[in-house]
Amino acid sequence: MIGGTSPMETVITSIQALSASSGDLSALHRILKGAEETIRTDSDLQLSTLDQLDPSKHSLGYLYLLDVLTCGPVSKEKASDSVLLISRFIASCDAEQIRLGSDKFVSLCKRFKDRVLELNDPLRGVAPLLTAVRKVQVSTKRLTALHPDCLQLCLQSKCYKAGFSILSDDILEVDQPRDFYLYCYYGGMICIGQKKFQKALELLYNVVTAPMHTVNAIALEAYKKYILVTLIHSGQFSISLPKCASTSAQRNLKTWCTPYTEVGNCYNEGKISELEAVVVAHSSDFEKDNNLGLVKQAVSSLYKRNILRLTQKYLTLSLQDIANMVQLANAKEAEMHVLQMIQDGQIHALINQKDGMVRFLEDPEQYKTSEMIEVMDSVIQRTIRLSKNLIAMDESLSCDPLYLGKVGRERQRYDFGEDFDTVPQKFSM
Amino acid sequence: MAPSSSSGLTFKLHPLVMLNISDHFTRVKTQLNPPSSSCATRNIPTTVGAGAATSPQNVRVYGCVIGAQRGRTVEIFNSFELVFDPSSDSLDRSFLEKKQELYQKVFPGFYILGWYSTGRDAIESDMHIHKALMDINESPVYVLLNPAINHAQKDLPVTIYESEFHVIDGIAQPIFVNASYTIETVEAERISVDHVAHLKPSDGGSAATQLAAHLTGIHSAIKMLNSRIRVLFQYLVAMQRGDIPCDNSLLRQAASLLRSLPAAHSEKFDDNFLMEYNDKLLMSYLAMITNCTSNMNEVVDKFKTAYAKKSRTGGSRIPFM
Repeated sequence: MIGGTSPMETVITSIQALSASSGDLSALHRILKGAEETIRTDSDLQLSTLDQLDPSKHSLGYLYLLDVLTCGPVSKEKASDSVLLISRFIASCDAEQIRLGSDKFVSLCKRFKDRVLELNDPLRGVAPLLTAVRKVQVSTKRLTALHPDCLQLCLQSKCYKAGFSILSDDILEVDQPRDFYLYCYYGGMICIGQKKFQKALELLYNVVTAPMHTVNAIALEAYKKYILVTLIHSGQFSISLPKCASTSAQRNLKTWCTPYTEVGNCYNEGKISELEAVVVAHSSDFEKDNNLGLVKQAVSSLYKRNILRLTQKYLTLSLQDIANMVQLANAKEAEMHVLQMIQDGQIHALINQKDGMVRFLEDPEQYKTSEMIEVMDSVIQRTIRLSKNLIAMDESLSCDPLYLGKVGRERQRYDFGEDFDTVPQKFSM
Repeated sequence: MAPSSSSGLTFKLHPLVMLNISDHFTRVKTQLNPPSSSCATRNIPTTVGAGAATSPQNVRVYGCVIGAQRGRTVEIFNSFELVFDPSSDSLDRSFLEKKQELYQKVFPGFYILGWYSTGRDAIESDMHIHKALMDINESPVYVLLNPAINHAQKDLPVTIYESEFHVIDGIAQPIFVNASYTIETVEAERISVDHVAHLKPSDGGSAATQLAAHLTGIHSAIKMLNSRIRVLFQYLVAMQRGDIPCDNSLLRQAASLLRSLPAAHSEKFDDNFLMEYNDKLLMSYLAMITNCTSNMNEVVDKFKTAYAKKSRTGGSRIPFM
């Protein structure tokens, strides 16, 4: 191609020229979309061509070229290089430009995640994906397709803290239900890893009660974990799902989770030995679902629940009596359990080591400290925000033509033409 | 008509007088222009030369102020209403004397100090009335209340006039001169005036509107306090920066103000204070949750109406799959 510029070079020059302002960027976007086929078939394209571009200034163009470069199957060494390239790009790219080509960016990051998993090095992908999520997110309330991928990498690399930082935002808008299920499921698992069972329960509850036509595998796994986490956190098990769960979930979930429901029912009885027997009986099922660790935690939480029950009946009790009632081996173990519970804040008690007596106390929280003021203030602010969101939702529903149609139809019966009717009588679309 | 008085007398006005005058004015205005019917025909005092029915804002009411004079201090304690005779443009003398006798019996130490009226400025005919009163009190005072409501005005719309003889055009004439005054009150009077001044209209009597009105009052008071503190703070910061020359007396006043805070400082007080604060926060939290729940209820109802699939049994079951 001597004497004429190759299509590749025209693309590169246009990228370099048009990456300045937003008006130029939309023009560039159109050019790139048109030129995509030519880029794909161009054999000139090498990794070295990318050196002509600066990822932070020409992010959109860089994105398109990178996408084409990395899409085919690749050998192990090349995979490591491409992973490095993509992670550098994610770190330095410009969020505004990326949002114009968000689909490409999302697919690029998914490919990145797959490569990283193939290389068995999920830790490399955690930080880039965290930045990627923040950059592609339009607002902190919106769920993107990258959230579950990021959480998956965090789970596989066991860095729960990083994943937890994403979970602290309240998600209010969801595009794809599958993303939402995965996000809540992985999020629940991360919270279990961090031992924050309250939040895990909330997230898993969201999956179990999410609207769905047919039961899907994510909801099933989530339900199994949900049962175990309710046992650990609140010590109660109820066989029926919450009322707001979808009808298909209510009908079908239980049939697939019989070992778990048996564990739950046995837990309600309160006998340790029986519970352990049930666990041993179904241990192969638990192993298959990778839930054995969680089940063991549930069993040990039964002791806690029984001790908690004792605080409601007795004012003072000796350690030996506690051990007998809860079926622990000896007073020493009872003392360890009680001490652990006091430290976790689950009960309030005083252990008198001289005569081995435990005295159960009331909750000493008087709600009159300035720390409590801050807690209350933040909670009130959160409720105000929630209220604002609900009002916005209310308004948008009032303008929904579906709603107006139904309301208009009903009003027709009662309107006798007396007063001025503000709702249209027969709203025909 | 407003040069300052040079008599050297200090005037002290009690809030009761102002309340009386404003009450008199409001009553007459409402009687003249009752809210339900059109204008009534009553014998009302009119301004000189107005002729036909005047607008309600021009109604002038007249009355007498009484009090005590000790040395150079004139203290105006109370007031009562008088009948104005529009034909002769003067106050009804016999009525005044009758009332004076009655009041003398109840308050033996109080004498007639002058008279009051409502309006924006003192007018010509006021001088006649003033002269007529001069035989009871050689130098009466004239209290003028401006009934126009002006939200931007910070001071009280009450002016006190004295009469002085000034030489104008070669003739010695009495004219009104402005006198400064202070507000003086006793504890019992303060409480009762406060109570009366905060009476809410009885038709807005539901607990919710009363609470809302009360809270609005507190809110505006706090806002005013906040803005004043902010002004003071900015002034002090500017002084610190050096934009404004240091004013030591102001600094001393600010320092003494700060030293008098906090009023109570003990552990028990802090305890009680925090507990009450937390209680109020808990109540607001409860109110917020109720509000939120009612919003959610609305949303769910609308959602159900819009998207519920009607099942064959008639009632709508669990909506939306």
